[in-house]
Amino acid sequence: MANKKIISCVLGIMCLALTFCICVQMKTVKQYSTKIGQNYDQKNLRAEVLRYKERYEHLLKEIDNLDKTLEGKIEEATDQNTDLEDARNQIKEGNKLIGLTEVTGPGAIIRVADSNIESSKVLDPSLLVVHDLDIFAIINELKNAGAEAISVNEQRIVSTSAIECGGNIITVNGEKIGSPFVIKAIGLPENFANLRRTGGYLEKMEEAGIQVKFEKSNKLTIPKYTGILNYKYAQSVK
Amino acid sequence: MKNLKKGKVTVTITIGIACLALATVMCMQFKIVNQTNIDELEVMREEELRTELADWKAKYQEAEEQYNQKEEKLQEYNEEEVSEIETTELVQKELEQVNLLLGKTDVEGYGIEITLRENENAEASITADNLNMIVNSLREAGAEAICINNERIINMSDIVLVANSVIKVNQQRVFAPYVIKAIGNQTYLESALLGNGGEADKLKKLGHDVTIDKSNNVKIPSYNKELSTRYIEE
Repeated sequence: MANKKIISCVLGIMCLALTFCICVQMKTVKQYSTKIGQNYDQKNLRAEVLRYKERYEHLLKEIDNLDKTLEGKIEEATDQNTDLEDARNQIKEGNKLIGLTEVTGPGAIIRVADSNIESSKVLDPSLLVVHDLDIFAIINELKNAGAEAISVNEQRIVSTSAIECGGNIITVNGEKIGSPFVIKAIGLPENFANLRRTGGYLEKMEEAGIQVKFEKSNKLTIPKYTGILNYKYAQSVK
Repeated sequence: MKNLKKGKVTVTITIGIACLALATVMCMQFKIVNQTNIDELEVMREEELRTELADWKAKYQEAEEQYNQKEEKLQEYNEEEVSEIETTELVQKELEQVNLLLGKTDVEGYGIEITLRENENAEASITADNLNMIVNSLREAGAEAICINNERIINMSDIVLVANSVIKVNQQRVFAPYVIKAIGNQTYLESALLGNGGEADKLKKLGHDVTIDKSNNVKIPSYNKELSTRYIEE
């Protein structure tokens, strides 16, 4: 008799658990189905973002092709004209400095990355992260050391490039980049080595726990600016 | 005795089935809950997606504009290939555009003028970092040309502090009061500096005198040094 009672009790508890589970299940499923609508919207959004991105990249390639044909045309047209050859060379030189062509040359690579130190072990955890200001300061020092071309995570720095803080990431040329940051600069490598001086910005970052690596290079390649450079407000004074 | 045994077997089987059902339901439950969590994350990112889409659209439009411009140029070349004078003109035009982007020409246009007057009694003096941050903020707001005390800021320009008190722009010493000019959308440029936490706002709070004037004809001089490349090659 006692045996039967125990069995009943066990069965009862089990049924209760089962019912409970089913209830939770039903509730979740209900929530889930309401989300399908939103999901659909999002998928569309995502697809549209991707589509625009693709179209943009495609257009950039087209512009590239146009540039090449244009260059060819200019070359063709100026071939017999020595006066124009000078102008053509100036255009080429100018485009290198503006950042509209891919360039190679000797220089240095600086890598900075967020610290490995556990944030609970220090007073101010924000010191362990590479900030937009740090990147800006390094770029400024490189320019001071005579850099002729600079890129941050393959984003070419041009005259309109801003280094913006975007929460957990940094935006350069409107593109999001994150740690580790690879800053490449072309110029005299010996001059860039000055960035490692005692008391310099890189050393201060290293003391704060940031991972800093400096490397000279005989030949490095810096990509061209991938955006559009076109002034709408500024006009040359004739 | 036999009856008792039979009863026990039935009970055991029943409990077994119940356990199995329970386990299955639990498994399903876990699976669905797992999925739901991911979905929630995605819902949170919807706003982000929308801004991303707007960004790409703007970029695309800009690219389209440039594409059309270049195509026009190419057409001109194709049409005027015969005339040498006109070719010269076109190449000259191209060179002008390059010089404009480089900063080798005087430019004018809509923009703002910021004047920073140093206050001796302020908590901290105006440093190269302040000027750097102002330049960065102006670029963020889409400035097309910038100068500090008529030193044009180009791609290779540096602003550094030397010997703790001397500020050098383009390796040239500049003195207070600092006059920073920028060409671009006036509203964007102004709000980038004035907003709470903006660079002008920060300097004001330190006690310095900051004035910002909008002008429809800001004049910015060209970069006045030789621009040469020694290390970069194509």
